[in-house]
Amino acid sequence: MPAANPAPDITVALIGNPNTGKSTLFSALCGVRQRVGNFPGVTVEKKVGQTRFHDQSFSIVDLPGSYSLAPRSPDEMVAVDVLLGRQDAVDTPDVVLCIVDASNLERNLYLVSQVLELGRPTVLALNMLDVAEEKGVTIDAEVLAERLGIRVVQVQANKRIGLAELKAALAEAVGGKAKPLPSPFPEPFQEEVGLLVERGVRPRYMAERLLLDTSGYLDSAKLPGVTDEIRTFLVEARERLSTAGVPIPAVEAMSRYGWVSTVTDGVCRRAADRPASLTDRIDRVLTNRWLGSLFFALVMIVMFQSVFYVAEPASAMIDMMNEFLSNLVMQWLGPGALRSLLINGVIAGVGGVLVFLPQIFVLFLFIAILEDCGYMARAAYLMDRLMSRVGLSGKSFIPLLSSFACAIPGIMAARVIEHPRDRLVTILIAPLMSCSARLPVYTLLIGAFIPDRRYLGILGLKGLTMFAMYAIGIIAATLVALVLRRTIVKGSAPPFVMELPSYKLPGLDIVTYRMFDRGWSFVRRAGTLIFAVTIVVWAAGYYPRNPANIDPALMQAEARLQREITELAATGPSAADELDHRERELAQVQGRISGQYLRHSALGQMGQFIEPAVKPLGWDWRIGCAAIASLPAREVVIATLGVIYNLGEEESESAETLSQTLKKATWEETGQPVFNTPVALSIMVFFALCAQCASTLAVMRRETNSWKWPAFTFVYMTVLAYVGAMATYQIGMQFVTS
Amino acid sequence: MSDVIPLHMLARGEVAAIDQVVGGAHDIQRLEELGLRRGVEIEMLQPGSPCIVALAGHRLCFRQNDAVGILVRAGVAR
Repeated sequence: MPAANPAPDITVALIGNPNTGKSTLFSALCGVRQRVGNFPGVTVEKKVGQTRFHDQSFSIVDLPGSYSLAPRSPDEMVAVDVLLGRQDAVDTPDVVLCIVDASNLERNLYLVSQVLELGRPTVLALNMLDVAEEKGVTIDAEVLAERLGIRVVQVQANKRIGLAELKAALAEAVGGKAKPLPSPFPEPFQEEVGLLVERGVRPRYMAERLLLDTSGYLDSAKLPGVTDEIRTFLVEARERLSTAGVPIPAVEAMSRYGWVSTVTDGVCRRAADRPASLTDRIDRVLTNRWLGSLFFALVMIVMFQSVFYVAEPASAMIDMMNEFLSNLVMQWLGPGALRSLLINGVIAGVGGVLVFLPQIFVLFLFIAILEDCGYMARAAYLMDRLMSRVGLSGKSFIPLLSSFACAIPGIMAARVIEHPRDRLVTILIAPLMSCSARLPVYTLLIGAFIPDRRYLGILGLKGLTMFAMYAIGIIAATLVALVLRRTIVKGSAPPFVMELPSYKLPGLDIVTYRMFDRGWSFVRRAGTLIFAVTIVVWAAGYYPRNPANIDPALMQAEARLQREITELAATGPSAADELDHRERELAQVQGRISGQYLRHSALGQMGQFIEPAVKPLGWDWRIGCAAIASLPAREVVIATLGVIYNLGEEESESAETLSQTLKKATWEETGQPVFNTPVALSIMVFFALCAQCASTLAVMRRETNSWKWPAFTFVYMTVLAYVGAMATYQIGMQFVTS
Repeated sequence: MSDVIPLHMLARGEVAAIDQVVGGAHDIQRLEELGLRRGVEIEMLQPGSPCIVALAGHRLCFRQNDAVGILVRAGVAR
């Protein structure tokens, strides 16, 4: 804050139900001036934005959308801790800004009643009055403010109406004594809470929560001041209340909704007839079992087509850029470790990250649009029928959908699933969805080894193979989810309830914001790791670099060719053809030399070491090498295959593409070709099912707060991949006539 | 007088009042926070499992299972 500014920064905590326009209000207030991070130890995003009003600056803490302040998990506890000033990661809020949807005042006021009990200065933002009017709801804001004892400001967040008034009300509310709201709870309950407070449980709201929470979460949360004595007291108090006709926890909803009805009485009027809204008419089609499913399929097809559509030119562009930069490096640096590090490590590493960006941005753009217009909830509704068969709910749909682009945002999106077991299963199966990193592997191998046949005129074998790879991932995920639900992650399915928001036109600000926000968090989380591992793999493939391991004949040939080229270059244009020929020959020889270096490098030795293990899969040591190299990031396999088989065994006149090189590769002992259709399929199946992605495992660790689950995922997926690849190869070989 | 029936037996467009939410205390609490509670009028928009119902201010989709169910009193006049 500039020194000239006299007024201290006001910290505002923003809270509200989901689908009330909370994010829209946050963006409208703060624009891009926001910092996103994480609250320590939990998976709740910490979003703090800045805004100004005259000389006053505000820090706005955006709390996750919630229907209630009754914490049942560490994630839900964050909002309560922030509001009570017990969360060290943010300043204690000076004022609470509670946003409510005017068309749904009754339910929104449930949360408001909890917020008001905290005793902090509070301002209410009454949003979407226009929508409420359309629905035949009228609200007397003045009487509402009077009854609540706080400022009520009418806003239209999407049109930026009422923002100045809102900021003025926030500044005004600071320091003011919050008028304590009479407790909505019955007398006996209040008395028991009073006794708890006397015994040292503070603040009062937490004492109330402790008494109400019979789920055991707060008990296990080890709150300060909660001793064994208090625990015994709680049990006894609940019994006393139960005999007094105050059932725990049912009393909360009864009391709060009772309070809500006195507050809204005469303030909020609804038209007698609920007019059939546009949303209802759209929903009649879009949630229809047949028409809705058809539309859903269309949306998915358009989305994935767009993702693939940008994937191709994007990777072509990255390749071009890589080549350009590599040539630049080659001009400036002679051969050696540094040049190799820059070209095969740094440039390849950055390219490996960038190549996914366009696809991920397109996918996030679609998801943001679908979310903001309200369709995503309908998709989840439609998918729930399928998901419930494997013991999950429709809420797992969005995370799994995102995982088709990349498992990292997919796993992060699993935060919307509030049930811990569902969330865990979703996280564990997310990496089985064929992410965009598998796409280049499929494309290369299908292009090179799957015959171009057509069935029924339209079904191409290549396309079918691609489809089969996606299907394998989905089928495996289904089976794994079924097994997990019956073994490790047992427990009854929670009730599936989800709000279906009204449809609206997606807001440009919020859609672009979400797209870039998620895109960047991908770059931050995945980018750094992919980059780092590419360099590690480079080092393993480069060192130890001992020229004594190289066939002396090759070294001599290299020296001879280099000499000849220098001589020819001096001769002038007449020797151009000859020069060209020699240069190509030199490239061949150098390729074979780097192949031999690789063979003796740490990576090459590992590949040879595991050859007996990968032979049943139809692989030679070089494929094994590529599999090891791609352990941290599966897309690395392409580059490694390129280096390993590089420009191969025979002399050839023209430069070869990777797929041509692979077709020519032979077993060293027998001279038989390494690759045939079963081998290609076996590699594809392996990569479809394996957990070769360190960033995914790292994100999984963060989201589950333990190394146990990433380790479990790595093991189960690798076993699945190995068995699947072996079965593919062995069965496939039955069809290949030798 | 109308009978109490499970929610999923309502036909499309039928309006009913919630009579009881049955299930574990915490599941009930969650449903109540979302507005599914005794006495509330709901309209069946899309029957099936999960179904879509309209409450006073909003729409919810809900799938009942062995653990949780909603009983309603059908034939409420608007």
